[in-house]
Order: sequence, then structure tokens, then C-alpha cells
Amino acid sequence: MSHNFRHWPIIVILSIVSLPLIIMFTFQIIDTFTTHPIDSMIPDKITFEQFSFLWDEAETGRANIWEVTLNTFIFATTTAVVVCTVSMTTAYALSRLNFPFRRFFLGGLIILHAFPTVTLIIAIFLILQIIGLYDTLMGVIMVKAALELPFGIWIMKGFYDNVPWEIEMAGVQDGASRFTVWWKLVLPQVQPGIFALMIFSFLSGWSEFLLPQVLAPGNDAQVLSTYMTALIADDTKIDFALFKAVGMFYALPVIAIYLIFQNKLMNIYGGGTKG
Amino acid sequence: MKNFNWLALGFLAPALIVITVFFLAPVILTGIFSFTSMSTSTGVTGGEYLLNQSGLRALADKGLNQTTLDQLNNAGYVVDEQGLAVLAEKHGAATADEMRKLHENGQFSARRDMERALKDLKANKIRSTKDRKAAAELFKHSLLNERFETEAKFRTALVEGDIPTEDHEIIVTQAYTGWVWTTDNIKLLFSLPSTLRYAGNTLIYVTLTLIFNIGFGLFLAITTFYLPAKSASTFRAIWFLPRILPPVMYVLLWKWLTWDTGFIATTLSWVGVAPKNWMLDTSTHAWVVVVLINGSFGASLGMILFSSAIKAIPSSILYSSEVDGANRWQQVRYIILPHLRWPILFITSYQTLSLLTSFEHILLSTEGGPGRATEVWSLAAYHIALDNYGGNLQYGLGATFAVALVIIGIIASLFYLRFFNFNEMVAKPKIEG
Repeated sequence: MSHNFRHWPIIVILSIVSLPLIIMFTFQIIDTFTTHPIDSMIPDKITFEQFSFLWDEAETGRANIWEVTLNTFIFATTTAVVVCTVSMTTAYALSRLNFPFRRFFLGGLIILHAFPTVTLIIAIFLILQIIGLYDTLMGVIMVKAALELPFGIWIMKGFYDNVPWEIEMAGVQDGASRFTVWWKLVLPQVQPGIFALMIFSFLSGWSEFLLPQVLAPGNDAQVLSTYMTALIADDTKIDFALFKAVGMFYALPVIAIYLIFQNKLMNIYGGGTKG
Repeated sequence: MKNFNWLALGFLAPALIVITVFFLAPVILTGIFSFTSMSTSTGVTGGEYLLNQSGLRALADKGLNQTTLDQLNNAGYVVDEQGLAVLAEKHGAATADEMRKLHENGQFSARRDMERALKDLKANKIRSTKDRKAAAELFKHSLLNERFETEAKFRTALVEGDIPTEDHEIIVTQAYTGWVWTTDNIKLLFSLPSTLRYAGNTLIYVTLTLIFNIGFGLFLAITTFYLPAKSASTFRAIWFLPRILPPVMYVLLWKWLTWDTGFIATTLSWVGVAPKNWMLDTSTHAWVVVVLINGSFGASLGMILFSSAIKAIPSSILYSSEVDGANRWQQVRYIILPHLRWPILFITSYQTLSLLTSFEHILLSTEGGPGRATEVWSLAAYHIALDNYGGNLQYGLGATFAVALVIIGIIASLFYLRFFNFNEMVAKPKIEG
């Protein structure tokens, strides 16, 4: 578009407004692999010292980083699987099956989507305490999956809506039950959608901070976000190089997954908020 | 048709169960909690009866007469086994034994008599006045600081202590440590000066961040539209990263930028500006940082949606405008912006709702500080109910704060369902597969 216009003024302006972010990202990478004198930003030595938290014995009172990473992985994976499985069936029913109160369910879904965590978390905190799942990984996983669900259903419904009715009609015509049609004909059609939702929920679980912080503050169920927060909150030593190294370790899978599946995810980031 | 309904029920069942447990139940419970005095000290399940000094002061404030107060505080002295055991610990077993021999189950109404009894021990006199006073305290028999499991037991103790019957009711109410039904939370909500402050903060936060989000999202979408594909996607990637990064990590980068040993402070010290914490120095600093953090995070949403909306504009319109000699500004003003009316409206209402209730970034960066300058409504609810410095988590009051948000949220989402034509959404979702 617009070959009549020059590009460089735009590039200059965009670079200037993006400068804070560019500085942050650049120094994030530089600082994790180098050291620098106290009153300077210019590195003087390359080092891997900052990553010693990965192989050193954990300090007393702090959880082992690998256990925490495993927790985070379990948390994110289970959340993703639960969200996908439940959304898969529910969204199909909402998109294609005829049942009473369908409009009511759809309207309710949109309102649920708008329900903020803060309005639910106080009661959930007490519910978990009463049923004994407070401070367990299991409890946080259930809550996280539940809170992600309205969004997942809404996204999956969008994918189902795009499957041509003709496919299903042909299946029913040939004598398959509605369930078989769903399982054998429709599901393969929405596979990319399921995959995208899976990755999206995994990333969302991997990044989650508030729920583990409130519902599982102990060391046993710690995930990387709460591990990192505890590290930063311990103000006896503020060591940004260490924080950044932990952050790098924490964020790397996210960035890698994003770079690999960028196009698939854009569907959700862009489309998910349309409804 | 009947078969279809069963299938639908089976397909919906898991979601219905989850939604009942984690959405309906919490919402209803939050509503219920907001009418209780539930907190860490009252517990969730039930309570006991315990009267302590602060309870006594509260009773005095409620107008209980002084004689009854004295009676509660000072029900006399009884030489019982409990006291003797402590006495043995402090002054030796011999003293306790002699005391037991002389005064077992003896009662003294005045402190002086109790002290005299201790002084008059033959073999093991407690000589120092200070020690005697302390020892006398051991035998003090009082309703204070004694736990009663049930109301009946507590009432019996009141009767035994000769407390006037007409005062029982008020004392029992005061001594109960469990939660009770109350509308005090709502009264408190309207009377606390901090409520107004939180509401004001929320207004500042939502307005400024919204302006930044929309304005900057538009700016990014339009500028990258005019760039060649490669540089456009570079800038989009830079601005998309805040959304991808885990919030803890993203906020850490801002902390590093603004901390007193961070980037801004260090760079400015080269030109002679004394280093300071650029995030928490004054409330203006804090607001600027909070808006920038949330704005840079939120701008990407606008950027994506506006970008795809601009791409949807038929290119023939843009080409013909160029043939007619429109400059870039005129193209933006008269062609692009009018086409973006609906996306802008949508993002505005969507973001208003999510900004009203989001506090994660503020919690991670300023924690509502300095003082309470950046404490927004939802963060206040979180602090009151789940994480405060006093340690007494007030679930009831926090729930009231949350309920206010729920009400605003429901009204807003009903409004925007109407505004954005719910029927169309139900019939034809606009999400691309």
C-alpha cells in the first residue's frame, strides 16, 4: 500500500516510542549473561554465574527450582487438558445441538466471561479451605481450569460454527448417530482449534500468578511465578541479575512456544476478544 | 429430538458442574459473606465464647455499667489447683504445698486479702511486694480470657459470677468469637473515607489506561499499516511481547527500569541527577508507571484488532484517495478512522470492564503504594480480604467490596450485550477459525 509515502519518518517515530520496551528486552538478555560495574550499565565480563540457581543446592526455606518447574509444568498441562476436553463437548452442544434454554446458556457464557477473578477468589479461597484443597496443586488446577473455561468454550464454539453443516448432514444421512458424527467427522475439522486452545491454555497456566499466590502460598505447591515473586519480595538482597536469570528461565518456554505457533495463536488472541 | 437432548445434556454436564462449583457457588457465597463479619479471627465455621480486655472496653463503650464491668474483670481470688501449679513453678513446690495446706479452695474478694495470705505463709514467705502482687494474680478468678465452647457454658459462668441477668445478652453477644450476620460492611463501605479514595483511584486508573490503550493501539495499528511487511511485523512483535510474557517477568523489567539502582537512575546519574526510585518516589511517579505498565500491556489488544480492521478496508478506497491527492493525514482522518468506529467502541467497552477489575500488574509493581496512592478498588478488595499487613483478613468486608464490582460488571456486560447486538453474536459468531 501507499508507495507515494516515505517510510523512514514512521520508523523513527515508532522506534522512539518503542525505546523503553527495546531497552528492557535488550538488557534482559545482556544482563543475564554478563556482569557490569555497579554504577554502569555497560557489561565488562561474560558469565553464567547468574544461572547457578539451576544447579546449586536451594537456600534453606526456598523450594528447589526443578521441583517448582515440574509443578508449573503439571499445573499448565493439566489446566490445558481439562479446559480442552470440557470445551470440546460443551462448545459442540452450544454450537450445533438443539436443546431448551440454548440462548440462556449462551448469554450466561458471555456474562461468565466478564466475571473477574477478584469477585470470585475470596469465596473460592474459603471453599477450598473448607473442602481441604487449600494449598494444594490440585486445588489451584481445578480453579484455574474452571476460570479459563468460559473463554475456552467461547473460542471452541467459534471453531465449530465454521464447520460446514453439510459434513454433518451427510454423516447423519448415512446413518451415523449424532455422537459418531461429532467424534468421527466434526472433531477432525476443528483439530487446529483444539490445538490452538491447548497451547493458549498452557501458556495461560504457565504465566498464572494470582491464583497460586492466593490459593497455594506454601512451598510444596509453588510454581515459577510465585517462586519468582517470593525471590523478589525478599528485600534482604536485591539482585536484578539473578531475578532476570530466573525470569529468563521462566519466560523462555513461553517465548519459544509463541515463536513456533505464532500464527495459530493469533487466531485466539485476535478472535477471542470479539465475543 | 428427544435423543438429541440427552446427548446435549451429556455434552454440557461437565461444564455445568464446573460452572456451578466455581462460578455460581462463589458468586452466591460472596453475596452471603458480604452480610457477615467473617474474618481470620472469627474463622469460617463457628466460634467460641471469650471475653478479653478489648471486649471489655467495647462493652464499656456500649454503655454497660461500671459495677458489672468490675465484676467481669475481677471476680475475686480462689486458691485452686491451676493457680497452685503455676505458683509451684515460680516459687517452688514447698511454697505451693504450704499454700495448699493453709488455704485450699479459699476465697478472697479483695486483692489485699489475697496478698496478705501470701505474705503470711509461715515457712515460705514471699517477701518482695512485687513478687506477691504477681503471685496474687495467679489466683485471680475472672471470666476474662477464659474460653467457653458453648453458649450454655458461658451463660452458666455468668450466673456463677453473679452478673446481673439483664446484662447477660449484651455480654454474650460481645464474647462470641465466631462470625455473625451484619449489615455493618455496607454501612462501612459508605462511611469509610478510603472508599471514596479507592473509587477515585479506580476512575483515574481506568480513564488514563483506557486513553493510553486505545490511543496507542490506534497509533501502532495505523503506523504499522503504512510500513513494509517486515518492519511492521518487527514493531508488532515488540509491542506484543508484554502480552506474551508472564506478568511477574514483565513487571520485573519495569522494576529494573525504574528502581533506584535501575536503568533510569543509573543513566541519569551520569548527568548529575541523584538516583531515586522512579516508580515509588511520589504518587505521580507511581501513577505514570502504573499507566505505562498496563497501557503497554493493553495496547497490543487494540493493535491486533485495529490492524485486522484496517486490513479489511477495501484497498480501492485507499488507492482512489491517493489518486485524488489525499495526504497521509487525510487518509487516516477521513478513511481509516471512520472505518474503525465499531472496533474502537468494542475495545473501549471491553477494556473498561477488564480494567475495572484487573489489579495484577499494580499488585506486582507498586502494591498500591506509595501510601495508598495507587490502591484501586479491586486491589483494595484483595488487600482487605486476602492479604493485609495487620494479618486479620476481613473476608466479609472484602466480599462487600467484591460484590460492588460484580454489580458494576453485570450492569456493564448487560449493557454491552444490548449495545453489540446479542442476537447477532448468538447467530453468527465473528471468530475466524
